[in-house]
Amino acid sequence: MTRIPRQSDRVNLEHITVLLIDDNLQALDILSSVIQGFGVKEQIRCSSAVEATEVIRRRPVDLVLVDCAMPEMDGYDFIRWLRRETPAPARQTPVIMLTGHAAASGVRKSRDCGASFIVTKPLTPTVLLQRIVWLSTDEREFIQSETYVGPDRRVRNMGPPLNVAGRRKGDLSTHVGVALEANMDQSDIDSLFKPRRVAL
Amino acid sequence: MARPGGRTTAEAVREAEAGLDSHREDGMRSLAATLARLEAVCAAREEGAEAQVYELASAFADMAGFFDTGPLYAAAFSLCETSDRMIAGACWQWPSVEVHLRAVRLILAAGCDANETSRLLLGGLATIVARLPKQPG
Repeated sequence: MTRIPRQSDRVNLEHITVLLIDDNLQALDILSSVIQGFGVKEQIRCSSAVEATEVIRRRPVDLVLVDCAMPEMDGYDFIRWLRRETPAPARQTPVIMLTGHAAASGVRKSRDCGASFIVTKPLTPTVLLQRIVWLSTDEREFIQSETYVGPDRRVRNMGPPLNVAGRRKGDLSTHVGVALEANMDQSDIDSLFKPRRVAL
Repeated sequence: MARPGGRTTAEAVREAEAGLDSHREDGMRSLAATLARLEAVCAAREEGAEAQVYELASAFADMAGFFDTGPLYAAAFSLCETSDRMIAGACWQWPSVEVHLRAVRLILAAGCDANETSRLLLGGLATIVARLPKQPG
């Protein structure tokens, strides 16, 4: 997982196209303002997932932000359609799913339909920008199987670097700590490698 | 994203927060309207209105979650969880909804301040949720 961007890091989102999907027009306006604040120049707004499928068929987009609960075709169905029914590279488009009430079953459903990330509310621009930056350097493999199409769900929880706030107990680390035992001397090492006659 | 130009992360977040704030007043008005609809549904207690309660509560939480509404969002989330669990467990109780709506109304009237009162209200709502059967994942 990529490190958390520092406040002084530069991000240039001027050249990306973001597709926003939400049936609530007010929410669409709000989301649009946030994305514009990040510096995105081109946004396509859709008030239904069905409308968004037409957009995807017509042209490529770099990122999709979709609300999970919508009538007719919800966010989960839209992502399933995107991952299974469209050709590459459209099917690999990063998708962030937004949800207000995220019951555990809903989060699993989002992950299993192929969402790249799920962002739960309360929504903060900091978290949303972090997710977008992470997706830009996402190293997860894109899995295509009979039962699942989407980014690899087997995520190694590396967490933030050591000594950075936000690390959890189970986070892995590539950090090599201080040695707990004295170094072996050369004769001990040699004895481990010395060929010996084996009595058979 | 790595192209030259753009803005610093701090600037991007600041601009986005300013954009978000510009919608706050309208957002709060819309929350008040959704709450009034929820109260009307709850007062009518019509059969089959359970799903409507969840949908409205979810819409409320969605909107409240865009802004820094602290205890208001927490109370709305609790109502979503409560109605979701009651629907799934076929154990719908209107008083549980009513208590939530009263709490939401009080928190909204107090300007969404996180204080002792809101802490107590949320504690009470958590007790209601805890009594309901958890949904299998």
